[in-house]
Amino acid sequence: MSAYLPDLIETMVKIAIVLGMNIGFFAPMLAWVERKQSAVMQDRIGANRADIFGFTVIGLFHSLADAIKLIFKEDFIPRGADKLLHTIAPLIAMIPALVTFAVIPFGGHYVLWGHDVNLVIADLDVGILFVLAISSIATYGVVLAGWASNNNWSLLGGLRAAAQMFSYEVTMGLTIIGLVMYYQSLSLVEIVAKQENFFHWGIIWHWPAFILFLACAVAENKRVPFDIPEAESELVAGYFTEYSGMKFVIFWTAEFIEVVTISALCVVMFFGGHQIPFISVQDIVNYLMDFGPNVANLVAAVIGFTVFIVKVVVLIFIQMTIRWTLPRFRYDQIMKLGWKMILPLSLVWILIVGVLILAGIMPTP
Amino acid sequence: MATTVKKVNRSVDLTLWEKMYIPEILRGMSITLKHFAVNLLGNALEVFGGRRERKIQTLYYPEELPNVPIAYRGRPVLVADENGLEKCVACGLCEVACPANCISIIGAERGDGERYPVSYILDGSRCIFCGLCEEACPKEAIVMSGEWQDICEYDRAKMIYTKEDLLRSEKSLKKRIKVLREKYFNKGRY
Repeated sequence: MSAYLPDLIETMVKIAIVLGMNIGFFAPMLAWVERKQSAVMQDRIGANRADIFGFTVIGLFHSLADAIKLIFKEDFIPRGADKLLHTIAPLIAMIPALVTFAVIPFGGHYVLWGHDVNLVIADLDVGILFVLAISSIATYGVVLAGWASNNNWSLLGGLRAAAQMFSYEVTMGLTIIGLVMYYQSLSLVEIVAKQENFFHWGIIWHWPAFILFLACAVAENKRVPFDIPEAESELVAGYFTEYSGMKFVIFWTAEFIEVVTISALCVVMFFGGHQIPFISVQDIVNYLMDFGPNVANLVAAVIGFTVFIVKVVVLIFIQMTIRWTLPRFRYDQIMKLGWKMILPLSLVWILIVGVLILAGIMPTP
Repeated sequence: MATTVKKVNRSVDLTLWEKMYIPEILRGMSITLKHFAVNLLGNALEVFGGRRERKIQTLYYPEELPNVPIAYRGRPVLVADENGLEKCVACGLCEVACPANCISIIGAERGDGERYPVSYILDGSRCIFCGLCEEACPKEAIVMSGEWQDICEYDRAKMIYTKEDLLRSEKSLKKRIKVLREKYFNKGRY
Protein backbone atom coordinates (compact mmCIF):
# COMPACT_ATOMS: atom_id res chain seq x y z
CA MET A 1 0.00 0.00 0.00
CA SER A 2 2.64 2.47 1.07
CA ALA A 3 4.49 1.97 -2.20
CA TYR A 4 1.48 3.18 -4.16
CA LEU A 5 0.63 6.07 -1.85
CA PRO A 6 2.90 8.70 -3.51
CA ASP A 7 1.58 7.71 -6.92
CA LEU A 8 -1.96 7.94 -5.66
CA ILE A 9 -1.39 11.38 -4.15
CA GLU A 10 0.36 12.53 -7.30
CA THR A 11 -2.53 11.41 -9.51
CA MET A 12 -5.10 12.97 -7.20
CA VAL A 13 -3.24 16.28 -7.28
CA LYS A 14 -3.07 16.18 -11.07
CA ILE A 15 -6.77 15.39 -11.36
CA ALA A 16 -7.53 18.23 -8.94
CA ILE A 17 -5.43 20.61 -11.05
CA VAL A 18 -7.18 19.62 -14.27
CA LEU A 19 -10.69 19.72 -12.79
CA GLY A 20 -10.03 22.96 -10.95
CA MET A 21 -8.53 24.51 -14.05
CA ASN A 22 -11.44 23.51 -16.27
CA ILE A 23 -14.54 23.78 -14.11
CA GLY A 24 -13.30 26.28 -11.57
CA PHE A 25 -11.38 28.65 -13.80
CA PHE A 26 -11.95 28.23 -17.51
CA ALA A 27 -15.71 27.58 -17.57
CA PRO A 28 -16.78 30.75 -15.69
CA MET A 29 -14.01 32.82 -17.25
CA LEU A 30 -14.99 31.78 -20.75
CA ALA A 31 -18.62 32.63 -20.06
CA TRP A 32 -17.37 36.10 -19.14
CA VAL A 33 -14.91 36.32 -22.02
CA GLU A 34 -17.56 35.29 -24.51
CA ARG A 35 -19.79 38.15 -23.40
CA LYS A 36 -17.21 40.81 -22.87
CA GLN A 37 -15.00 40.04 -25.83
CA SER A 38 -17.95 39.97 -28.21
CA ALA A 39 -19.17 43.26 -26.76
CA VAL A 40 -15.84 45.04 -27.10
CA MET A 41 -15.40 43.58 -30.57
CA GLN A 42 -18.81 44.78 -31.72
CA ASP A 43 -18.49 48.29 -30.26
CA ARG A 44 -20.79 47.52 -27.34
CA ILE A 45 -20.17 47.64 -23.60
CA GLY A 46 -21.37 44.24 -22.42
CA ALA A 47 -22.48 43.03 -19.02
CA ASN A 48 -21.08 45.32 -16.33
CA ARG A 49 -23.78 45.96 -13.72
CA ALA A 50 -23.51 43.05 -11.28
CA ASP A 51 -21.48 44.26 -8.30
CA ILE A 52 -20.38 43.17 -4.84
CA PHE A 53 -20.06 46.15 -2.47
CA GLY A 54 -19.88 48.46 -5.46
CA PHE A 55 -17.07 46.62 -7.22
CA THR A 56 -18.02 45.38 -10.65
CA VAL A 57 -14.62 44.00 -11.81
CA ILE A 58 -15.59 44.68 -15.44
CA GLY A 59 -18.60 42.41 -15.30
CA LEU A 60 -16.85 39.37 -13.88
CA PHE A 61 -19.51 38.88 -11.22
CA HIS A 62 -22.13 38.19 -13.87
CA SER A 63 -20.81 34.64 -14.13
CA LEU A 64 -21.35 34.26 -10.39
CA ALA A 65 -24.79 35.83 -10.54
CA ASP A 66 -25.72 33.55 -13.43
CA ALA A 67 -24.56 30.50 -11.52
CA ILE A 68 -26.64 31.46 -8.49
CA LYS A 69 -29.67 32.17 -10.63
CA LEU A 70 -29.42 28.90 -12.53
CA ILE A 71 -28.95 26.80 -9.40
CA PHE A 72 -32.20 28.13 -7.96
CA LYS A 73 -34.10 27.84 -11.22
CA GLU A 74 -36.77 25.19 -11.70
CA ASP A 75 -35.42 22.02 -13.26
CA PHE A 76 -38.09 21.48 -15.87
CA ILE A 77 -38.74 18.19 -17.66
CA PRO A 78 -41.36 18.52 -20.38
CA ARG A 79 -44.42 16.25 -20.53
CA GLY A 80 -43.81 13.18 -22.65
CA ALA A 81 -40.04 13.45 -22.27
CA ASP A 82 -37.95 10.44 -21.37
CA LYS A 83 -37.03 11.36 -17.81
CA LEU A 84 -33.96 9.18 -17.45
CA LEU A 85 -32.38 10.06 -20.79
CA HIS A 86 -33.33 13.71 -20.41
CA THR A 87 -31.44 13.75 -17.11
CA ILE A 88 -28.30 11.88 -18.10
CA ALA A 89 -27.87 13.44 -21.56
CA PRO A 90 -26.08 16.58 -20.28
CA LEU A 91 -23.70 14.41 -18.29
CA ILE A 92 -22.94 12.26 -21.33
CA ALA A 93 -22.19 15.47 -23.20
CA MET A 94 -19.95 16.89 -20.48
CA ILE A 95 -17.91 13.93 -19.20
CA PRO A 96 -16.06 13.18 -22.49
CA ALA A 97 -14.85 16.78 -22.62
CA LEU A 98 -13.31 16.36 -19.18
CA VAL A 99 -12.06 12.81 -19.70
CA THR A 100 -10.16 13.83 -22.82
CA PHE A 101 -7.95 15.93 -20.58
CA ALA A 102 -6.64 12.75 -18.92
CA VAL A 103 -4.21 12.12 -21.77
CA ILE A 104 -3.19 15.71 -22.46
CA PRO A 105 0.24 16.49 -20.99
CA PHE A 106 0.20 19.90 -19.33
CA GLY A 107 3.86 19.81 -18.39
CA GLY A 108 6.98 17.76 -18.85
CA HIS A 109 8.75 15.14 -16.78
CA TYR A 110 10.26 16.23 -13.47
CA VAL A 111 11.97 14.62 -10.47
CA LEU A 112 10.64 15.97 -7.17
CA TRP A 113 12.01 14.64 -3.91
CA GLY A 114 13.13 11.42 -5.54
CA HIS A 115 9.72 10.86 -7.11
CA ASP A 116 9.17 10.85 -10.86
CA VAL A 117 6.39 13.28 -11.74
CA ASN A 118 4.98 13.22 -15.24
CA LEU A 119 2.51 16.06 -15.68
CA VAL A 120 -0.17 14.04 -17.42
CA ILE A 121 -2.90 12.09 -15.68
CA ALA A 122 -2.67 8.99 -17.87
CA ASP A 123 0.33 8.46 -20.15
CA LEU A 124 -1.42 6.24 -22.71
CA ASP A 125 0.47 4.83 -25.68
CA VAL A 126 -2.58 5.51 -27.84
CA GLY A 127 -3.38 8.99 -26.57
CA ILE A 128 -4.63 10.36 -29.90
CA LEU A 129 -6.90 7.37 -30.48
CA PHE A 130 -8.23 7.80 -26.94
CA VAL A 131 -9.03 11.45 -27.63
CA LEU A 132 -10.87 10.60 -30.85
CA ALA A 133 -12.74 7.71 -29.27
CA ILE A 134 -13.87 9.64 -26.22
CA SER A 135 -14.83 12.80 -28.06
CA SER A 136 -17.21 10.80 -30.27
CA ILE A 137 -19.12 9.71 -27.14
CA ALA A 138 -20.18 13.34 -26.66
CA THR A 139 -22.33 12.91 -29.77
CA TYR A 140 -24.56 10.53 -27.81
CA GLY A 141 -25.26 13.17 -25.20
CA VAL A 142 -26.36 15.66 -27.83
CA VAL A 143 -28.45 13.18 -29.81
CA LEU A 144 -30.10 11.78 -26.69
CA ALA A 145 -30.84 15.28 -25.43
CA GLY A 146 -32.55 16.06 -28.72
CA TRP A 147 -34.50 12.84 -28.79
CA ALA A 148 -35.50 12.67 -25.12
CA SER A 149 -36.91 16.20 -25.00
CA ASN A 150 -40.06 15.34 -26.99
CA ASN A 151 -39.76 18.57 -28.93
CA ASN A 152 -39.58 19.21 -32.67
CA TRP A 153 -36.75 21.70 -32.45
CA SER A 154 -34.75 19.50 -30.13
CA LEU A 155 -35.13 16.52 -32.41
CA LEU A 156 -34.05 18.53 -35.44
CA GLY A 157 -31.09 19.84 -33.49
CA GLY A 158 -30.16 16.34 -32.42
CA LEU A 159 -30.40 15.04 -35.98
CA ARG A 160 -28.24 17.82 -37.32
CA ALA A 161 -25.73 17.30 -34.52
CA ALA A 162 -25.53 13.59 -35.30
CA ALA A 163 -24.92 14.18 -39.00
CA GLN A 164 -22.45 16.98 -38.44
CA MET A 165 -20.43 15.38 -35.67
CA PHE A 166 -20.25 12.08 -37.55
CA SER A 167 -18.98 13.83 -40.69
CA TYR A 168 -16.32 15.81 -38.93
CA GLU A 169 -15.24 12.92 -36.69
CA VAL A 170 -13.96 11.09 -39.75
CA THR A 171 -12.12 14.12 -41.05
CA MET A 172 -10.68 15.03 -37.67
CA GLY A 173 -9.08 11.61 -37.39
CA LEU A 174 -7.61 11.88 -40.87
CA THR A 175 -6.14 15.35 -40.35
CA ILE A 176 -3.92 14.06 -37.54
CA ILE A 177 -2.57 11.05 -39.47
CA GLY A 178 0.14 13.14 -41.10
CA LEU A 179 1.26 14.30 -37.69
CA VAL A 180 1.34 10.72 -36.38
CA MET A 181 3.46 9.70 -39.36
CA TYR A 182 5.82 12.58 -38.66
CA TYR A 183 6.28 11.88 -34.94
CA GLN A 184 5.98 8.09 -35.33
CA SER A 185 3.93 7.88 -32.17
CA LEU A 186 0.33 7.95 -30.98
CA SER A 187 1.28 8.98 -27.45
CA LEU A 188 0.71 12.67 -26.77
CA VAL A 189 3.47 12.68 -24.14
CA GLU A 190 5.95 11.39 -26.67
CA ILE A 191 4.76 13.88 -29.28
CA VAL A 192 5.38 16.74 -26.87
CA ALA A 193 8.78 15.34 -25.90
CA LYS A 194 9.77 15.24 -29.58
CA GLN A 195 8.93 18.94 -29.96
CA GLU A 196 11.75 20.03 -27.69
CA ASN A 197 13.54 21.43 -30.72
CA PHE A 198 11.57 24.44 -31.97
CA PHE A 199 11.98 23.32 -35.59
CA HIS A 200 10.19 20.08 -34.79
CA TRP A 201 7.03 21.84 -33.64
CA GLY A 202 3.99 20.55 -35.48
CA ILE A 203 3.08 23.97 -36.81
CA ILE A 204 6.34 24.32 -38.75
CA TRP A 205 5.69 21.49 -41.22
CA HIS A 206 2.07 20.68 -40.52
CA TRP A 207 0.32 24.05 -40.62
CA PRO A 208 -2.17 22.81 -43.25
CA ALA A 209 -3.08 19.99 -40.87
CA PHE A 210 -3.47 22.57 -38.09
CA ILE A 211 -5.95 24.63 -40.10
CA LEU A 212 -7.93 21.53 -41.09
CA PHE A 213 -7.84 20.15 -37.55
CA LEU A 214 -8.97 23.42 -36.02
CA ALA A 215 -11.87 23.64 -38.47
CA CYS A 216 -12.91 20.06 -37.72
CA ALA A 217 -12.52 20.53 -33.98
CA VAL A 218 -14.66 23.67 -33.96
CA ALA A 219 -17.27 21.81 -36.01
CA GLU A 220 -17.07 18.91 -33.57
CA ASN A 221 -17.70 21.37 -30.74
CA LYS A 222 -20.70 22.85 -32.59
CA ARG A 223 -19.52 26.42 -32.18
CA VAL A 224 -20.52 29.28 -34.33
CA PRO A 225 -19.51 28.89 -37.92
CA PHE A 226 -20.75 25.31 -37.48
CA ASP A 227 -23.55 25.77 -34.93
CA ILE A 228 -26.47 24.41 -36.94
CA PRO A 229 -27.41 21.91 -34.18
CA GLU A 230 -28.05 24.95 -31.99
CA ALA A 231 -29.02 27.57 -34.60
CA GLU A 232 -30.84 30.09 -32.41
CA SER A 233 -32.54 31.76 -35.35
CA GLU A 234 -34.01 28.53 -36.72
CA LEU A 235 -34.28 25.98 -33.93
CA VAL A 236 -34.81 28.12 -30.80
CA ALA A 237 -31.82 26.52 -29.06
CA GLY A 238 -31.56 23.23 -30.93
CA TYR A 239 -30.98 20.12 -28.90
CA PHE A 240 -31.12 21.88 -25.51
CA THR A 241 -34.31 23.84 -26.12
CA GLU A 242 -36.09 22.00 -23.31
CA TYR A 243 -33.31 22.30 -20.75
CA SER A 244 -33.26 24.67 -17.84
CA GLY A 245 -31.39 25.26 -14.62
CA MET A 246 -28.29 23.20 -13.89
CA LYS A 247 -28.72 20.84 -16.84
CA PHE A 248 -28.58 23.81 -19.17
CA VAL A 249 -25.44 24.99 -17.40
CA ILE A 250 -23.87 21.58 -17.85
CA PHE A 251 -24.38 21.82 -21.61
CA TRP A 252 -22.79 25.24 -21.61
CA THR A 253 -19.93 24.13 -19.41
CA ALA A 254 -19.36 21.14 -21.69
CA GLU A 255 -19.09 23.49 -24.64
CA PHE A 256 -16.61 25.75 -22.89
CA ILE A 257 -14.52 22.86 -21.61
CA GLU A 258 -14.43 21.48 -25.13
CA VAL A 259 -13.06 24.83 -26.30
CA VAL A 260 -10.28 24.41 -23.74
CA THR A 261 -9.75 20.78 -24.74
CA ILE A 262 -9.43 21.66 -28.41
CA SER A 263 -6.97 24.43 -27.62
CA ALA A 264 -4.96 22.10 -25.37
CA LEU A 265 -4.88 19.42 -28.07
CA CYS A 266 -3.71 21.94 -30.64
CA VAL A 267 -1.03 23.18 -28.25
CA VAL A 268 0.15 19.66 -27.52
CA MET A 269 0.23 18.54 -31.15
CA PHE A 270 1.22 21.70 -33.02
CA PHE A 271 2.69 24.22 -30.59
CA GLY A 272 5.07 22.18 -28.48
CA GLY A 273 2.98 21.77 -25.33
CA HIS A 274 4.86 23.18 -22.35
CA GLN A 275 8.07 23.78 -24.29
CA ILE A 276 9.53 27.24 -24.70
CA PRO A 277 11.28 27.79 -28.06
CA PHE A 278 15.07 27.37 -27.81
CA ILE A 279 14.96 26.79 -24.02
CA SER A 280 14.69 23.18 -22.92
CA VAL A 281 13.40 22.02 -19.54
CA GLN A 282 16.91 20.80 -18.72
CA ASP A 283 18.29 24.32 -19.30
CA ILE A 284 15.90 25.77 -16.73
CA VAL A 285 16.71 23.03 -14.23
CA ASN A 286 20.46 23.47 -14.72
CA TYR A 287 20.17 27.24 -14.38
CA LEU A 288 18.39 26.91 -11.04
CA MET A 289 20.55 24.09 -9.68
CA ASP A 290 22.00 26.45 -7.03
CA PHE A 291 18.69 26.26 -5.16
CA GLY A 292 18.81 22.46 -5.05
CA PRO A 293 17.38 19.95 -7.52
CA ASN A 294 13.91 19.86 -5.97
CA VAL A 295 13.31 23.61 -6.15
CA ALA A 296 14.78 23.70 -9.65
CA ASN A 297 12.46 20.95 -10.84
CA LEU A 298 9.46 22.53 -9.12
CA VAL A 299 10.12 25.93 -10.69
CA ALA A 300 10.63 24.29 -14.08
CA ALA A 301 7.30 22.48 -13.65
CA VAL A 302 5.51 25.71 -12.76
CA ILE A 303 7.10 27.54 -15.72
CA GLY A 304 6.16 24.69 -18.05
CA PHE A 305 2.57 24.66 -16.81
CA THR A 306 2.30 28.45 -17.15
CA VAL A 307 3.66 28.37 -20.69
CA PHE A 308 1.17 25.65 -21.54
CA ILE A 309 -1.72 27.69 -20.12
CA VAL A 310 -0.61 30.83 -21.96
CA LYS A 311 -0.53 28.95 -25.25
CA VAL A 312 -3.97 27.48 -24.50
CA VAL A 313 -5.36 30.93 -23.70
CA VAL A 314 -4.03 32.34 -26.98
CA LEU A 315 -5.69 29.53 -28.91
CA ILE A 316 -8.93 30.02 -26.97
CA PHE A 317 -8.80 33.68 -27.93
CA ILE A 318 -8.38 32.73 -31.59
CA GLN A 319 -11.38 30.39 -31.34
CA MET A 320 -13.45 33.08 -29.67
CA THR A 321 -12.50 35.57 -32.36
CA ILE A 322 -13.55 33.13 -35.05
CA ARG A 323 -16.80 32.57 -33.16
CA TRP A 324 -17.63 36.29 -33.18
CA THR A 325 -16.38 36.96 -36.70
CA LEU A 326 -18.00 34.40 -38.96
CA PRO A 327 -21.69 33.86 -39.67
CA ARG A 328 -23.28 30.42 -39.52
CA PHE A 329 -23.01 27.95 -42.40
CA ARG A 330 -26.10 26.50 -44.00
CA TYR A 331 -26.65 22.77 -43.45
CA ASP A 332 -25.71 21.79 -47.01
CA GLN A 333 -22.67 24.07 -46.88
CA ILE A 334 -21.43 22.32 -43.75
CA MET A 335 -21.83 18.91 -45.35
CA LYS A 336 -20.15 20.12 -48.52
CA LEU A 337 -17.26 21.64 -46.59
CA GLY A 338 -16.80 18.49 -44.52
CA TRP A 339 -17.08 15.78 -47.16
CA LYS A 340 -16.04 17.52 -50.35
CA MET A 341 -13.33 19.88 -49.15
CA ILE A 342 -11.73 19.05 -45.82
CA LEU A 343 -11.84 15.26 -46.25
CA PRO A 344 -10.09 15.21 -49.67
CA LEU A 345 -7.67 17.89 -48.50
CA SER A 346 -6.70 15.85 -45.45
CA LEU A 347 -6.21 12.75 -47.64
CA VAL A 348 -4.03 14.76 -50.00
CA TRP A 349 -2.06 16.06 -47.05
CA ILE A 350 -1.43 12.51 -45.82
CA LEU A 351 -0.11 11.64 -49.28
CA ILE A 352 2.14 14.70 -49.33
CA VAL A 353 3.52 13.99 -45.88
CA GLY A 354 4.16 10.36 -46.83
CA VAL A 355 6.03 11.36 -49.97
CA LEU A 356 8.04 14.03 -48.15
CA ILE A 357 9.06 11.64 -45.39
CA LEU A 358 9.98 8.90 -47.85
CA ALA A 359 11.99 11.34 -49.95
CA GLY A 360 13.80 12.52 -46.83
CA ILE A 361 12.78 16.14 -47.28
CA MET A 362 10.82 16.08 -44.00
CA PRO A 363 13.13 14.33 -41.53
CA THR A 364 11.22 12.73 -38.67
CA PRO A 365 12.44 13.81 -35.23
CA MET B 1 -45.38 55.51 -61.94
CA ALA B 2 -41.87 56.08 -63.08
CA THR B 3 -40.05 52.90 -63.95
CA THR B 4 -36.51 53.67 -62.89
CA VAL B 5 -35.17 50.27 -61.93
CA LYS B 6 -31.74 50.27 -60.38
CA LYS B 7 -29.78 47.17 -61.27
CA VAL B 8 -28.06 45.66 -58.26
CA ASN B 9 -25.26 43.20 -58.82
CA ARG B 10 -26.41 40.20 -56.83
CA SER B 11 -23.83 37.84 -58.25
CA VAL B 12 -22.54 35.58 -55.53
CA ASP B 13 -19.79 34.04 -57.62
CA LEU B 14 -16.65 34.14 -55.54
CA THR B 15 -13.23 34.76 -56.89
CA LEU B 16 -10.59 32.10 -56.48
CA TRP B 17 -8.99 34.06 -53.65
CA GLU B 18 -12.31 34.14 -51.81
CA LYS B 19 -12.93 30.47 -52.50
CA MET B 20 -9.72 29.63 -50.70
CA TYR B 21 -11.61 30.85 -47.67
CA ILE B 22 -8.72 31.07 -45.21
CA PRO B 23 -7.50 34.52 -46.34
CA GLU B 24 -11.03 35.85 -46.11
CA ILE B 25 -11.43 34.43 -42.60
CA LEU B 26 -8.17 36.09 -41.61
CA ARG B 27 -9.38 39.37 -43.13
CA GLY B 28 -12.61 39.19 -41.12
CA MET B 29 -10.69 38.35 -37.97
CA SER B 30 -8.36 41.28 -38.52
CA ILE B 31 -11.38 43.61 -38.71
CA THR B 32 -12.92 42.32 -35.49
CA LEU B 33 -9.54 42.28 -33.76
CA LYS B 34 -8.93 45.88 -34.80
CA HIS B 35 -12.21 46.92 -33.21
CA PHE B 36 -11.32 44.87 -30.14
CA ALA B 37 -7.92 46.49 -29.77
CA VAL B 38 -9.16 50.04 -30.30
CA ASN B 39 -12.03 49.68 -27.85
CA LEU B 40 -9.93 47.86 -25.27
CA LEU B 41 -7.22 50.52 -25.39
CA GLY B 42 -9.79 53.32 -25.27
CA ASN B 43 -11.52 51.80 -22.26
CA ALA B 44 -8.24 51.12 -20.48
CA LEU B 45 -7.09 54.70 -20.97
CA GLU B 46 -10.38 55.96 -19.62
CA VAL B 47 -9.95 53.94 -16.44
CA PHE B 48 -6.58 55.62 -15.90
CA GLY B 49 -8.06 59.05 -16.39
CA GLY B 50 -7.35 59.49 -20.09
CA ARG B 51 -9.66 60.92 -22.67
CA ARG B 52 -12.39 58.70 -24.03
CA GLU B 53 -11.26 57.43 -27.39
CA ARG B 54 -13.42 54.48 -28.10
CA LYS B 55 -15.74 53.51 -30.88
CA ILE B 56 -18.38 52.38 -28.41
CA GLN B 57 -21.22 54.86 -28.65
CA THR B 58 -23.25 53.48 -25.76
CA LEU B 59 -23.87 55.91 -22.88
CA TYR B 60 -24.02 54.69 -19.30
CA TYR B 61 -27.37 56.45 -19.08
CA PRO B 62 -28.06 57.52 -15.52
CA GLU B 63 -24.40 58.38 -15.00
CA GLU B 64 -23.75 59.85 -18.43
CA LEU B 65 -26.15 62.18 -20.21
CA PRO B 66 -26.27 62.78 -23.93
CA ASN B 67 -25.35 66.17 -25.33
CA VAL B 68 -28.50 67.34 -27.09
CA PRO B 69 -27.91 69.48 -30.17
CA ILE B 70 -28.66 73.17 -29.83
CA ALA B 71 -31.56 72.91 -32.28
CA TYR B 72 -33.24 70.38 -30.00
CA ARG B 73 -36.74 71.41 -28.90
CA GLY B 74 -37.09 70.48 -25.26
CA ARG B 75 -39.33 72.02 -22.63
CA PRO B 76 -40.35 75.60 -23.53
CA VAL B 77 -39.06 78.00 -20.86
CA LEU B 78 -39.37 81.68 -20.05
CA VAL B 79 -36.28 83.88 -20.25
CA ALA B 80 -35.43 86.03 -17.26
CA ASP B 81 -33.31 89.19 -17.50
CA GLU B 82 -30.43 90.19 -15.20
CA ASN B 83 -32.81 91.20 -12.42
CA GLY B 84 -34.54 87.83 -12.51
CA LEU B 85 -37.69 89.34 -13.97
CA GLU B 86 -39.35 87.73 -16.97
CA LYS B 87 -38.82 89.37 -20.35
CA CYS B 88 -42.37 88.50 -21.31
CA VAL B 89 -44.67 91.48 -21.91
CA ALA B 90 -47.87 89.39 -21.91
CA CYS B 91 -48.74 90.31 -25.49
CA GLY B 92 -50.42 86.92 -25.96
CA LEU B 93 -48.89 86.10 -29.37
CA CYS B 94 -47.63 82.76 -28.17
CA GLU B 95 -51.08 82.01 -26.79
CA VAL B 96 -52.49 82.60 -30.27
CA ALA B 97 -49.70 80.78 -32.08
CA CYS B 98 -49.87 77.68 -29.91
CA PRO B 99 -51.63 74.96 -31.95
CA ALA B 100 -52.29 72.90 -28.84
CA ASN B 101 -53.73 75.78 -26.79
CA CYS B 102 -51.46 74.97 -23.90
CA ILE B 103 -50.49 78.54 -22.93
CA SER B 104 -52.74 80.81 -20.92
CA ILE B 105 -51.56 84.27 -19.80
CA ILE B 106 -53.05 86.88 -17.51
CA GLY B 107 -51.28 90.17 -18.06
CA ALA B 108 -51.06 93.34 -15.98
CA GLU B 109 -49.07 96.61 -15.78
CA ARG B 110 -46.26 97.38 -13.41
CA GLY B 111 -45.97 100.81 -11.78
CA ASP B 112 -43.73 102.09 -14.57
CA GLY B 113 -46.25 101.15 -17.22
CA GLU B 114 -44.38 98.01 -18.29
CA ARG B 115 -46.66 95.05 -18.98
CA TYR B 116 -45.89 91.71 -17.41
CA PRO B 117 -47.66 88.35 -16.99
CA VAL B 118 -49.27 88.00 -13.59
CA SER B 119 -49.71 84.34 -14.32
CA TYR B 120 -48.20 82.37 -17.19
CA ILE B 121 -49.45 78.82 -17.28
CA LEU B 122 -48.03 76.31 -19.71
CA ASP B 123 -49.78 72.94 -19.76
CA GLY B 124 -46.95 70.47 -20.36
CA SER B 125 -49.38 67.64 -20.91
CA ARG B 126 -50.77 69.39 -24.01
CA CYS B 127 -47.57 70.93 -25.38
CA ILE B 128 -46.46 69.30 -28.65
CA PHE B 129 -42.96 70.86 -28.63
CA CYS B 130 -43.52 72.46 -32.05
CA GLY B 131 -41.60 75.65 -31.22
CA LEU B 132 -44.21 78.00 -32.72
CA CYS B 133 -44.32 80.01 -29.47
CA GLU B 134 -40.65 80.95 -29.69
CA GLU B 135 -41.12 81.81 -33.36
CA ALA B 136 -44.06 84.05 -32.53
CA CYS B 137 -42.48 85.81 -29.54
CA PRO B 138 -41.28 89.33 -30.42
CA LYS B 139 -39.24 89.71 -27.21
CA GLU B 140 -37.27 86.44 -27.22
CA ALA B 141 -39.02 85.75 -23.96
CA ILE B 142 -40.02 82.12 -24.53
CA VAL B 143 -37.59 79.65 -26.06
CA MET B 144 -37.38 75.89 -26.41
CA SER B 145 -34.67 74.75 -24.02
CA GLY B 146 -32.57 71.61 -24.16
CA GLU B 147 -34.33 70.17 -21.11
CA TRP B 148 -35.53 66.66 -21.84
CA GLN B 149 -35.37 65.00 -18.43
CA ASP B 150 -38.25 64.92 -15.92
CA ILE B 151 -40.76 65.95 -18.55
CA CYS B 152 -42.84 62.82 -17.98
CA GLU B 153 -44.99 62.53 -14.86
CA TYR B 154 -47.48 60.03 -13.52
CA ASP B 155 -49.89 62.85 -12.61
CA ARG B 156 -51.13 65.34 -15.19
CA ALA B 157 -51.65 67.97 -12.51
CA LYS B 158 -47.87 68.03 -12.01
CA MET B 159 -47.35 68.89 -15.65
CA ILE B 160 -49.04 72.27 -15.45
CA TYR B 161 -46.07 74.63 -15.18
CA THR B 162 -46.40 78.09 -13.69
CA LYS B 163 -44.26 81.13 -14.40
CA GLU B 164 -41.98 80.32 -11.47
CA ASP B 165 -41.40 76.78 -12.76
CA LEU B 166 -40.38 78.01 -16.18
CA LEU B 167 -38.11 81.01 -15.45
CA ARG B 168 -34.51 80.41 -16.58
CA SER B 169 -31.66 82.89 -16.64
CA GLU B 170 -30.81 84.44 -20.00
CA LYS B 171 -27.23 83.29 -19.65
CA SER B 172 -28.15 79.60 -19.68
CA LEU B 173 -30.17 80.08 -22.88
CA LYS B 174 -27.69 82.27 -24.74
CA LYS B 175 -26.80 79.69 -27.36
CA ARG B 176 -30.41 78.93 -28.20
CA ILE B 177 -31.28 82.59 -28.51
CA LYS B 178 -28.34 83.07 -30.86
CA VAL B 179 -29.58 80.20 -33.01
CA LEU B 180 -33.05 81.74 -33.03
CA ARG B 181 -31.72 85.05 -34.25
CA GLU B 182 -29.85 83.35 -37.08
CA LYS B 183 -32.85 81.24 -37.89
CA TYR B 184 -35.63 83.77 -37.84
CA PHE B 185 -34.11 87.23 -38.26
CA ASN B 186 -30.69 87.40 -39.83
CA LYS B 187 -30.85 84.77 -42.53
CA GLY B 188 -34.47 85.22 -43.35
CA ARG B 189 -34.72 81.70 -44.62
CA TYR B 190 -38.00 80.99 -42.96
